[in-house]
Parts: sequence; C-alpha cells; structure tokens
Amino acid sequence: MLKHTISELKEALICLEAGQVTLPYPFQPHPPDENFRGKPVLHTRKCMSCGACGNACPARLISIRDEAGIRTLSFELGRCTYCGMCRDACPQEAITLSQQFELSTETPGDLLIRAEFKLVTCRECGHPIGTERQVELVREKLKASDMQLLDMSYLELCINCKRKIFIRTPALMLEVVS
Amino acid sequence: MNALDWCFKKSIWVYHVNAGSCNGCDIEILDVLTPYYDVERFGIRLVHTPRHADALLVAGPVTRQVRERLIRVYESTPDPKLVIAVGSCSTGGGIWYNSYATLGGLGNVLPVAIYIPGCPPRPEAILYGVAQALGLVPKQVEKQEFAEV
Repeated sequence: MLKHTISELKEALICLEAGQVTLPYPFQPHPPDENFRGKPVLHTRKCMSCGACGNACPARLISIRDEAGIRTLSFELGRCTYCGMCRDACPQEAITLSQQFELSTETPGDLLIRAEFKLVTCRECGHPIGTERQVELVREKLKASDMQLLDMSYLELCINCKRKIFIRTPALMLEVVS
Repeated sequence: MNALDWCFKKSIWVYHVNAGSCNGCDIEILDVLTPYYDVERFGIRLVHTPRHADALLVAGPVTRQVRERLIRVYESTPDPKLVIAVGSCSTGGGIWYNSYATLGGLGNVLPVAIYIPGCPPRPEAILYGVAQALGLVPKQVEKQEFAEV
C-alpha cells in the first residue's frame, strides 16, 4: 500500500516537472513544418495545361478533357495523397503544395480545382493541337533558338497535316528550315 | 436550435472503425487521444462499442469484405449519429478508387456528415473536422475555378 502511494507520488512529481504538454491548438494556430505538403494549388497564370501532372499522379485524380475548343483540367482532390508528384512533374512550376491542412468539408465537391483553357485547332483538319499558351510557348522558344524558321504558320498544323504537307512537297521543308 | 444541435451540444463519444485502412489514419486518430493533442478536454472520448457511440470515425476505402460489418456497426449505433470519414481513402477512395476490392469511399456506403481528407490527415485536421461537424468552427476550403476567356 505504502509502496503504491510512493510510486504514485513519484509520478506526480514527474508530471509537475514536465509542466503542460498539451497543445493549445484550436484556440491558437499550430502551423506545420515548412516542408509539409498540404492542399495543392494550381497557379492558373503559369499553367499551360500540358497534362504532365495527370500522367504523374498516382491517384489519377487529374483529368484532362478536350471539348468544343476548350481544354478542361480538373483536380478531384478528395482522393489526393499529397505526394507532390504533380509539383515535381510540372515544367512550368504551376503547381505548389500549400500549408493548408484544415480541409474538412461536408461535400467532397469543395475539393475540386477546375481550369479551362482555349484550344488551338489545326488549320487544315480542325483537330486540336494544344492550348493557345502551349503554341505561344513553342513559338517563343523557336524564336529564341538558333533555328531560323522563315514560316511560323506551320505551328498551326497538327502533326498529321504537317507530315502530309511535307510528303507532298518536300521542297517546303527546306523553305521552312533554311 | 434543431434536435441534432441539441444532441451534440455536449461531449460526443466516438467509435473508431477501420474499413480497410492502411493504419496511417488509425495512428493519427490515436495521436489525437494522446495528452499532446488531448481531445478529452472537449469531451470527445473513444468508446469500445458502437452502442455507446455518438459518432463513427471511419478510416479506409471500404473494402467489399468490410462493407457488411460496417453497415452492422452503423445500425447498432443509436440515433442520432454522425459519420466522419477520416483520410483520403474514405473521402474519395484514395489510390484504390477504381479497385475491384473496394467500394471507392465511404460516401458510397453510408451517409457521411463530414469528410476529413489527408493522407493521413494531421491530428489537428481531425480535431478541426470533428469540431466542424459539431458546428464550432467554419469551413476553410472552397472550389477553385478558372476559365481563360
């Protein structure tokens, strides 16, 4: 009996030494570590909707749909595992993982990111080539590169139409590249 | 004040159900109960049978095997009850969303009061989610939409 009381007193002393350990969390914010991976944020100003994130995502929650001249990029973050593969895959650094972790919601629809981008269609066959931003980016890169392209209008052709045109008139290729 | 608000005004007791979870969420749920986070100061307590529980904390994508048991647990919980989906798996199926062995999230099986996404969610996030289900704190997420004109 006495032994028991002594050991309890000892424990009480240890607790007094330790002081308060409980976090005052709901009353004071408790920010996570700076490397914490929270809710992904899409920076729509940088995104050119190439779909690299969709290929990298292990949960396959990033879907890309081309419809009626508009490419829709949607993130269903309900099943996101916060692995950061989309951020690593993005060539434009348009996805970052924020520090936000208080994501509880009554409707999983709140965890949706949807972005719509205008598509460029092939001038010959009308097949979508890519978004306006993608074509613009390629144009800028070609201008900055050493290759001196004379005719930039070939950027408005889809890959099949380019092939057909060059096969029909091989001289055009020389004209474009020379 | 409606009946549900009145029922959940005071301490809620939770029953933890593992519906095919990988144990990540279960560890975080246990973490919430430790003195460091200490949910018992809000009256939230883990109970050992669903018959004593007010809320079910369900983790995991709900496998086909566990579906029947989960429904039995749900039915043995007295009304009114809250179902709280913990983790990305129970929110939307996680990386098993299209597997033949899972039912793709808790929302397909039971009426869910609140979803707490995260893989696993931080203990703070679970605490926040339960508080949100009780109507104590506001929702922080919203849909992000963008259209290039």
